[in-house]
Amino acid sequence: MKSYYDRPLLKGPHWGSNVVTYLFLGGIMGGLGLISLLSDDRPEPAMKKLRKTTRYTAFALAAINPPILISHLGRPERFLNMLRIVKFKSPMSLGVWGLVLYSGAAGANALRELADDGVVPKILRHLAPNATVPIQALLGAFMAGYTGVLISATAIPLWAAGKRHIPAFSVCSGAASASALATLLSTLQGNHEVLPRLERLEMAASALEIAAIADFRKRGGLATAPLFEGRIGKRLRNYTILGGIVVPFALNAIGGAVKLPKSIDALRSIAASTLTLIGGYVLRESLIEAGKLSANDPQVAFRQPS
Amino acid sequence: MATGFFTDATLCIGCKACEVACKQWNELPSDGYEFTGNSYDNTSQLSGTTWRHVDFIERESVDESGVTASWSMLSDVCKHCTNAGCLEACPTGAIVRNEFGSVFVQPDVCNGCGYCVVSCPFGVIDLIEAVGHGDDAAKYGLATLHDDRLNERKTAVQATGGVAGKCTLCFDRQRVGMVPACAKACPTESIQFGEIEELRERAKARVETLQQRGVEAQLYGADDVGGGIGPLNAFFLLTDSPEAYNLPVEPVLPSTRQAMGYAAAAAAALTLATIGWAIFRGDA
Ligand code: SF4
Ligand code: SF4
Repeated sequence: MKSYYDRPLLKGPHWGSNVVTYLFLGGIMGGLGLISLLSDDRPEPAMKKLRKTTRYTAFALAAINPPILISHLGRPERFLNMLRIVKFKSPMSLGVWGLVLYSGAAGANALRELADDGVVPKILRHLAPNATVPIQALLGAFMAGYTGVLISATAIPLWAAGKRHIPAFSVCSGAASASALATLLSTLQGNHEVLPRLERLEMAASALEIAAIADFRKRGGLATAPLFEGRIGKRLRNYTILGGIVVPFALNAIGGAVKLPKSIDALRSIAASTLTLIGGYVLRESLIEAGKLSANDPQVAFRQPS
Repeated sequence: MATGFFTDATLCIGCKACEVACKQWNELPSDGYEFTGNSYDNTSQLSGTTWRHVDFIERESVDESGVTASWSMLSDVCKHCTNAGCLEACPTGAIVRNEFGSVFVQPDVCNGCGYCVVSCPFGVIDLIEAVGHGDDAAKYGLATLHDDRLNERKTAVQATGGVAGKCTLCFDRQRVGMVPACAKACPTESIQFGEIEELRERAKARVETLQQRGVEAQLYGADDVGGGIGPLNAFFLLTDSPEAYNLPVEPVLPSTRQAMGYAAAAAAALTLATIGWAIFRGDA
């Protein structure tokens, strides 16, 4: 096998924990958009409470994501450079516009709740038409998915090999993390009635996620080695696959099957959702870190995945 | 009129005049001094601050007359792709195609996001995150002349959080009718600069002549390289396989994967929304 002194052919990503956090929160914002839609316009007080929680949280996350991106870019003005143009060919450009529009929709929906609660004048309710709820959900689906497209539409062999899988499991992981966050907040608020539904949604999302990750490993070929082997592979196995999917799934299944005393059940929910959130973060982190290793291997980069 | 480079490995003598001329003209800082042990190549790679890099390949062949060693050198550079991954990826529009058909990074628009870096199928463009090695330069007596300028740049780059850097095909020189610095400095015309169509014809004639003489020569990038990238505005004549020069055999334009990615994401989102609807609203 020929190479040039085994020197890397490609340049790896210069992305650290701030970009990982940006991608992770983007996924959660996406999932919260869905939960906000699912709990919309329901008479039950518990659902109402859940709806408010997801809307306030989504807006809070939308507000902190730009500063996180700016911490990566270096200076606040640099964020504005992205708003010079809309570029359909660039997932990074579309993603920033997705974030801006999502913030608008999430802001409108948060405002609607604030007006209902009487925190702000009722008249402001009219600034948020009913359509902003499904719009936030649609933009949310985009937010959770584009991060996967963003990394797989690059030259990094590991990411390129996952052009179908990475976007798919990014969406699932975002939905699972969002359900986990909503579960966590609802448990802390004592809003127990919504937990069974949230936990079932989380189980469905995690099941799809683990299936997509397993299929990626099976079909991705040589290029997937940096993600599934070595130190990163071990971390992914422990924190995402086991700790972030299998264990919370089991805990949620137990919660659905047997009636536990209230305090123990609350502990179970808190443990399951915290583990899911950690697993979601580690998944994004492993993808970025394994991307750096993947760029260093010239042999997989000589013939790039189609 | 599109212009470009034709770089011919059979004419390169490995003098690195192109590397030096490029660094000087573009006022690029030293990258420090690293002894690699890889033949005479201590530059190693193209980077944000190295826009020409000379590959040194040492080959041995054994036959009845004994062992013969042969060299192949090639000056690598940004390919100024017809469909450029870096340009498509850039979210700010900092990377543009200029009037000479070259791919150009506008440093004042670039925000240092680094997306172009992972989107180049040839591993060319990189972020200049820290300009430094001023002390190194002084230690080895290199580039001390430009120390003031170096410090200026160092402050600018650090204050901005990095910008992307790569070959400009000497945009500034071309605008005033000058030949790019590397082509001007090359003593053997291994680097030829000119109008693309004319260079291609010259390259095809050259490779034919060489093949007639029994040299194993091939062109890289004069025609479509595949993967959606198209022909390269900076193309090469090689005497070994592309991998030997750290060039990809099958490069792919990253954006060609987007449609599939969005479709997969949409399918996952739709599935989850349906399941979610059944869980939350199935009873309503
Ligand atoms: S070789 Fe890389 S940096 Fe140069 S134009 Fe092509 S994609 Fe851009
Ligand atoms: S680093 Fe600069 S040139 Fe590269 S993609 Fe980002 S904004 Fe564009």
